[in-house]
Amino acid sequence: MEERTRNLFKELLSSGSGKVGIAFIIALIIISLGVIIIYPPDFGLKYWSNPVLWADNPRAAPPAWTNLFSSYNQAETVIFETNIPTERIPGVSITKVLYTFNLNHKADEPPSFISMTVGNIKYNNRPPVLIVNIERPDGNKIELYRLIVPGPLPNEVTPFARFSETPFRIQLSGNHEVVSAVSNFLKQEFDVSISNQDLLLSGVDIAVFGTPQDDGKFDVLMGVYKIQVDAFLYNEDDSIGSVKFVAGGSVHGFMGTDTLGRDLSIGLLFGFPVALFIGLVASSITTVIGTSLGIISGYIGGKTDTSIQRAADIFTNIPLLPILIFLSFIVGPNLFIIILILIIFSWPGLTILIRSMVLQIRSGQLVESSITLGASRLRIMLRHIFPQTAPFVFAQMIFFTPSAILAEAALSFLGLGDPSLPTWGQILEYGFRNGGIYVGYWWWILPPGILIVITAMTFVLIALGMEPIINPRLKRGH
Amino acid sequence: MIRLEDVKMYFQSRKGLFKTVEIKAIDGVSVEIDKGKTLALVGESGSGKTTLGRLTLRLLKPTAGHVFFEDLNITDLEEVHLKSFRRRAQAIFQDPYSSIDPFMNVHQIVEEPLIIHRIGKKKERNEMVHKALEDVRLTPTQEFSNKYPHMLSGGQRQRVGIARALILKPEYIVTDEPVSMIDASSRAEILHLMKNLQDKYRITVLYITHDIATAKYFADRIAVMYNGRIVEIGPPEKVVKEPIHPYTIKLLAAVPEPDPSNRFKERGVVEGEPPNPADIQWGCRFESRCQLQKEDNCKSKQPTLVQIKPEHYVACFLKDKDKS
Amino acid sequence: MKLLEVKNLKLYYQSTRGTVKAVDGISLDLAKSEALGIVGESGSGKTSLSLALMRVLPSNIDTNEGKVILDGKDITQLSEEEFRKEIRWNTISMVFQGAMNSLNPVLKVGHQIAEPMLLEKTVNKKEAYKKSEDLLEMVGLPKEIFNRYAHELSGGMKQRVMIASALILNPKLVILDEPTSALDVSIQAQIMNLLKRFKKELDISMIFITHDIALSSDLCDKLAVLYAGEIIEKGTAEQMFGKPKHPYTQLLLASIPGLKQDASPKFIPGAPPDLTSPPTGCRFHARCPYRFDPCDKKPPPAFKIEKDHLSRCWLNEGDKK
Repeated sequence: MEERTRNLFKELLSSGSGKVGIAFIIALIIISLGVIIIYPPDFGLKYWSNPVLWADNPRAAPPAWTNLFSSYNQAETVIFETNIPTERIPGVSITKVLYTFNLNHKADEPPSFISMTVGNIKYNNRPPVLIVNIERPDGNKIELYRLIVPGPLPNEVTPFARFSETPFRIQLSGNHEVVSAVSNFLKQEFDVSISNQDLLLSGVDIAVFGTPQDDGKFDVLMGVYKIQVDAFLYNEDDSIGSVKFVAGGSVHGFMGTDTLGRDLSIGLLFGFPVALFIGLVASSITTVIGTSLGIISGYIGGKTDTSIQRAADIFTNIPLLPILIFLSFIVGPNLFIIILILIIFSWPGLTILIRSMVLQIRSGQLVESSITLGASRLRIMLRHIFPQTAPFVFAQMIFFTPSAILAEAALSFLGLGDPSLPTWGQILEYGFRNGGIYVGYWWWILPPGILIVITAMTFVLIALGMEPIINPRLKRGH
Repeated sequence: MIRLEDVKMYFQSRKGLFKTVEIKAIDGVSVEIDKGKTLALVGESGSGKTTLGRLTLRLLKPTAGHVFFEDLNITDLEEVHLKSFRRRAQAIFQDPYSSIDPFMNVHQIVEEPLIIHRIGKKKERNEMVHKALEDVRLTPTQEFSNKYPHMLSGGQRQRVGIARALILKPEYIVTDEPVSMIDASSRAEILHLMKNLQDKYRITVLYITHDIATAKYFADRIAVMYNGRIVEIGPPEKVVKEPIHPYTIKLLAAVPEPDPSNRFKERGVVEGEPPNPADIQWGCRFESRCQLQKEDNCKSKQPTLVQIKPEHYVACFLKDKDKS
Repeated sequence: MKLLEVKNLKLYYQSTRGTVKAVDGISLDLAKSEALGIVGESGSGKTSLSLALMRVLPSNIDTNEGKVILDGKDITQLSEEEFRKEIRWNTISMVFQGAMNSLNPVLKVGHQIAEPMLLEKTVNKKEAYKKSEDLLEMVGLPKEIFNRYAHELSGGMKQRVMIASALILNPKLVILDEPTSALDVSIQAQIMNLLKRFKKELDISMIFITHDIALSSDLCDKLAVLYAGEIIEKGTAEQMFGKPKHPYTQLLLASIPGLKQDASPKFIPGAPPDLTSPPTGCRFHARCPYRFDPCDKKPPPAFKIEKDHLSRCWLNEGDKK
């Protein structure tokens, strides 16, 4: 057996497709292991499907590297986050805590949004106040926003904790206070008056990050913006946990984002172990069931054979898709149910094939000679028949792996995917449902599709490389 | 050692959609082999000789009649009760390519019967395998032990098959055309080896072959089979030197002898194909191909084995008369 | 007149273990309507020799040298296309080993016999089928067989069909590679009778390849014994069966369990050598009971015993005339 396994690999590595297949599968496995180690176990529900986590990402943004192919420089998301103040100025009754971020804006457009998030504020008597200022490269300063931390509730005991569970996020771009502050700023500095309503519609970002022109439009002002958050604390023991300032871009990361702002690279990476899991689990269980039933059916014969074959006939003739839709409707979309159903409907094909192989083997003298030696049925099936089918079974298993992956992708695409485990099929489906194809979200539609194809191809390549072993007549030379 | 009493073996064969045809592969055979002796079963393919061999090993259950192994009636034994019989009766098969597991090495193949019958500990088994390989002259045994069947020649494979059959020290062996797939030059060697081992271990042998020349060399008695029945049986010197049944005579004529004058004359052969065993026949089964002057009985009655000379039995109406 | 002359034919294969010298310098000749037997154990190169004559060569060929002169013309010089058109099946046809299992199960056997003729495109279907029916009768099968399928025929009948198919284009030479190896003795005798009749009546030459030297006496006028890629002895049937000179031939003849003699058959111990590294000296020396001093050192040349009789054995050095 070891010799055969060694030969198998030797043969695989001697063919071009085998080599590529092996290289691909090693890559797939390494990525998957990495993902399993790094990602939290409840990634799907708690992270991927939680919109709050993705709020600071631009929505439907193409990958950042698209800038390389265009003369128009799009803004990239810049995130500042800290829990250590830049400066702390203690006073008599007021302590001033300063957070300063320097944003070097180089894009040909303003950020798509700006936002601030504060978390874990503790105070003892008066609620702290936070003021967000921005100092532009032209020296002008705007006081954008003033946050007064909610006061104590009746019967609440000190210290009062605010935003400790969920940090508090202010979308500065769409905030009325910010709009009026910017409107005032424009009037004072440039003598341009735009109503709050208009400013809200055109977006404050361009006003903050640009200079008004005569035609009523704004030119982007490049340079270093100094963003300063001043917090006023009224007690020695008051504290501010974290401050985060985000200037949203319109390109994002390596793979871009979807319409919820989710970083597609993160979701796609998670798809690797899920795809391998679906493929390998479904195919190995199918192969085990299909092979054992096939061998039993072919070797024992009689009523056992008839019942197994009738069962196989029934399962091959029931249309799989309606059943799957029906069951996911009843049980709810669950990956394990999907795998189970794939197995239930896939074993018959293999069983029928293995049975016919076994019938041929059974008529040979090997089986007869084993009976003469007194070997039991089990021994004959395990020791003599199975090894002869093994290369074929192994090839079938590898062939079936991509079909399981594709079947899951197809189901996900029909909206029957398991939301707790994001897969490539689901990402594809979500992109498609959000009009990805019509709007041209290519970075959203293409990668999951390509990954599905590459993964399926990997197994097909290995199967091709194994062909000469499964079918020795094709063996090149001697 | 082995005794068959009026054994019949009919197979059902589906013909068309609904019709089944009964094929009389063996139609009333009674024969016995004495302990330590060899019976050669000679006949064309389709004569039922292989089926008969399989019946004596209880690989098939006869339709009628009884099969005795010593005094044990094995005809109706369940497979579970056959295990001790399986240990005592073994077989050497025709095709050394398909009767041994291609994925096992020689050691594993020869050791397998011991494992099945839970004989000995690992070390004892190794010793027995070593000895069995020595018996069949696959030496040095260490070297052959690790080889796989595809690395061996046809003759060497057949010797592995012999070693496997002999390791259980069986009392009875069926050898079904053990040399027909082996080069002519190695046949004598295999036959020689089998004969030596038979003498050494006093094994009862049923030797099945279509080649009456090897049977003559190997057997104590020769039974000629035609279409499911034994037509002539006797010691080789009688059957080969003084054949009586017209079929035996033709069979002997077909054996090639190295003689350069052969090419100038045609062999006297049994023309045509053997009759289909599915066809119902009332008379002598050889009647359709027999070239002798026939009489009425030939078409209407089945001849039975009649002793014509001491130990020499023939089933032919025409020859019965010669006796009287 | 000589129909076929093979001069110093070599055929080496490339294998993972090295170069297999399957045919190593073989010279033969064959006259019209003569039958030549090539006798050898499996692995002696006899099938490779026939494949070389038919130019059906595997892809891992290493060396293919020598001359094959057919009717005075060196056919090794022909291009593949010319060879296919002029030689293969037209002039030299072949009954392959185990060919009876290579009949197409879904075509009528009559059509399969006619197929080479249909590919010629010189005759119409009707004529080809007519010829196919005639051949069936010639090989001793009823005409009805034309419409049968392979699985309906017995082994002997299939072999007859294969012989008919080899004869369809009226070849001058038919190569028969173990045409009876899987058949019963009685069917084998029938086939041999048939071949004998064809040789006499149709005036064709035959090369009969077999491992059974006794069987070759049924057909062959001349015999060549092949061992490890070399012809170790050749001569007329009378010379070879009457006074074989090479120990290997003698042992082959002694290994036949004959009906007439009472002596038990002898056998040749050991196995044929590995053709990737043939033994030095005489290739048979390791298995030879008569080996003496020069055998394992110098390869013996072909000593001429008498006319047409050559033997490659140092024992025959003195017999040289």
